[in-house]
Amino acid sequence: MLVKINSAAVLGLDSYQIEVEVDSSKRLPGQSIVGLPDAAVKESRDRVRAAIENSDFQFPPGYFTINLAPADTKKEGPLYDLPIALGILSSSEQISTKDSNGTVVLGELSLDGSVRPVNGILSICLSLAGKKRKILVPKENADEAALVRGLEVIPVQSLKEAVGYLGGSIRISPHRIDLSSLFKKDPEYGIDFSDVKGQGHVKRALEIAAAGSHNLLMVGSPGSGKTMLARRIPTILPPLSLDEALEVTKLYSVTGLLHGKGSLITSRPFRTPHHTTSDIGIIGGGRIPRPGEVSLAHFGVLFLDEFPEFDRRVLEVLRQPLEDGHVTISRAHSSLTYPAQFMLIAAMNPCPCGRLYDSKQSCSCTPYEIQRYWKKLSGPLIDRIDIQLEVPRLRPEELSAMPEGEPSRNIRERVIKARNIQRERFKDSGIYSNSRMNPKQLKKFCELDKEAEGILKSAIIHLNLSGRAYDKVLKVARTIADLERIEMIEAKHIAEATQYRSLDRKGGEI
Amino acid sequence: MGLESYELGKKGEEIAEKYLVKQGYQILERNFHSRQGEVDIIAKDRDFLVFIEVKSYSYRSYGSPVGAIRRAKKQSLIHAAQTYLYKKNIQDTYCRFDVIAIYKKFNGEQLIEHYRDAFYIC
Repeated sequence: MLVKINSAAVLGLDSYQIEVEVDSSKRLPGQSIVGLPDAAVKESRDRVRAAIENSDFQFPPGYFTINLAPADTKKEGPLYDLPIALGILSSSEQISTKDSNGTVVLGELSLDGSVRPVNGILSICLSLAGKKRKILVPKENADEAALVRGLEVIPVQSLKEAVGYLGGSIRISPHRIDLSSLFKKDPEYGIDFSDVKGQGHVKRALEIAAAGSHNLLMVGSPGSGKTMLARRIPTILPPLSLDEALEVTKLYSVTGLLHGKGSLITSRPFRTPHHTTSDIGIIGGGRIPRPGEVSLAHFGVLFLDEFPEFDRRVLEVLRQPLEDGHVTISRAHSSLTYPAQFMLIAAMNPCPCGRLYDSKQSCSCTPYEIQRYWKKLSGPLIDRIDIQLEVPRLRPEELSAMPEGEPSRNIRERVIKARNIQRERFKDSGIYSNSRMNPKQLKKFCELDKEAEGILKSAIIHLNLSGRAYDKVLKVARTIADLERIEMIEAKHIAEATQYRSLDRKGGEI
Repeated sequence: MGLESYELGKKGEEIAEKYLVKQGYQILERNFHSRQGEVDIIAKDRDFLVFIEVKSYSYRSYGSPVGAIRRAKKQSLIHAAQTYLYKKNIQDTYCRFDVIAIYKKFNGEQLIEHYRDAFYIC
């Protein structure tokens, strides 16, 4: 007898519906799975057999042909265990699945017949949204699935429970979740901007970067507080909106990084890959491409400490996602696009020994060593960094003083206000921040007054700004004006924004 | 294969056959050979056509007799079974592979273990 069970497959970030077809015939005992299954799908044979026997059912005799249709796309992962088990049981008429019409079934089976959580549930649910479908999901994934409205989410814990529900002998009420309660809790960081002594101008620059989602590079001697400051950036970032949160959660869900993080990621991601990370690790890749660090930092922060220590290839692959806000990875099997709208925060020393600017200690590097160190950062890469600044070593009196900076809460409030202005401005245009403006939007939204125009003109001449650097200055000036809630960009905003092009000022090397 | 173990195997198959008849099986075939395989006993158990491999031990072995059937032996059994089905033109019948293990205890007593549905084609 032939039985069809609905299920779904994940490809990249998206998902599509599939049918698990199970046909039993009276032949020598055995089974085969077709429809381009990967190793994890093929192994389901053994899991399903044990799970069925340990759930007080009998593994039926005969030969089973299992087809995952459509047969021309690769099926990955263990999420078809449950539909296959249900298919085998119902094709041998041990159970009835007459009520399962159109119900989507997903789940990995454990040998004892319990249902284990799987990856990519949110992506699957989003693709089914609004279709009034029923979906059977592992209990651990129920919260994640219930984030999507217009779906009937039925959590199941075991194969027996799933059989009972589909046969009508067990009633399970649809799982619901209160979205607003997820956003209510403010994240606890345990760190605060007020912990950092001095460095007022760096804090100001970080505030601007956070407000407009600008890329930022800090150059300073060891121990001046670069890393400490960067780690506190999440405390001043605005919370994610629901749409943003769903997109980030979807990414983490398909990557399998959601376990233990709750059902919805509500705080912005902060990724700090080590400088030995490969270019594939940063950008994403693999036989079937997976998201890399740039995508995992989507709508959040990618912090690269010891910037020039990264492999040259790693630094250069950053260029395209920095510009486009997404990465397309092509492999023999498939070509996938992942979003990558992150703000890049980079930190580095001025020279290999780190004492180049130090007034008290002398630098032990040769000019050649310094040149080689800086050569790691190509012109095009530096061009893409909106805010470049020096972080000097603290003076003794600053060091011994008590830390008394502004608390993160206050800075965050200003950042949120500036972001709200931007959200209003870019309504329906698909972008969320000043840093993502295209040339047309730049022209429309960055109106300069006379004086500001004059300053900008002389800056172009004196600093030899590139076309892109010119745009960056305008975008940063826009954010500074937004922080002050001023509509027209004034001279002081342009002046401050050009201050943050310190590498342009010094011709590529500080 | 020494004569002794050949005798042991022959003896085992006889014991297994007696045991199966007692269980209500209808013996169809003994030592069925195909070009690339063989089955010790083919029997009918109600709706099922059962292909049986008999393992005889002169001592109490510690491993599982089912585990003692490795890939080559499996292939040989499957080939023989397929040939049998083809030759007799049998369709639409549930089939099964069973293993019967026969041990000779120290006191001369026999011990029979019957593993139903011991393996399947994968």
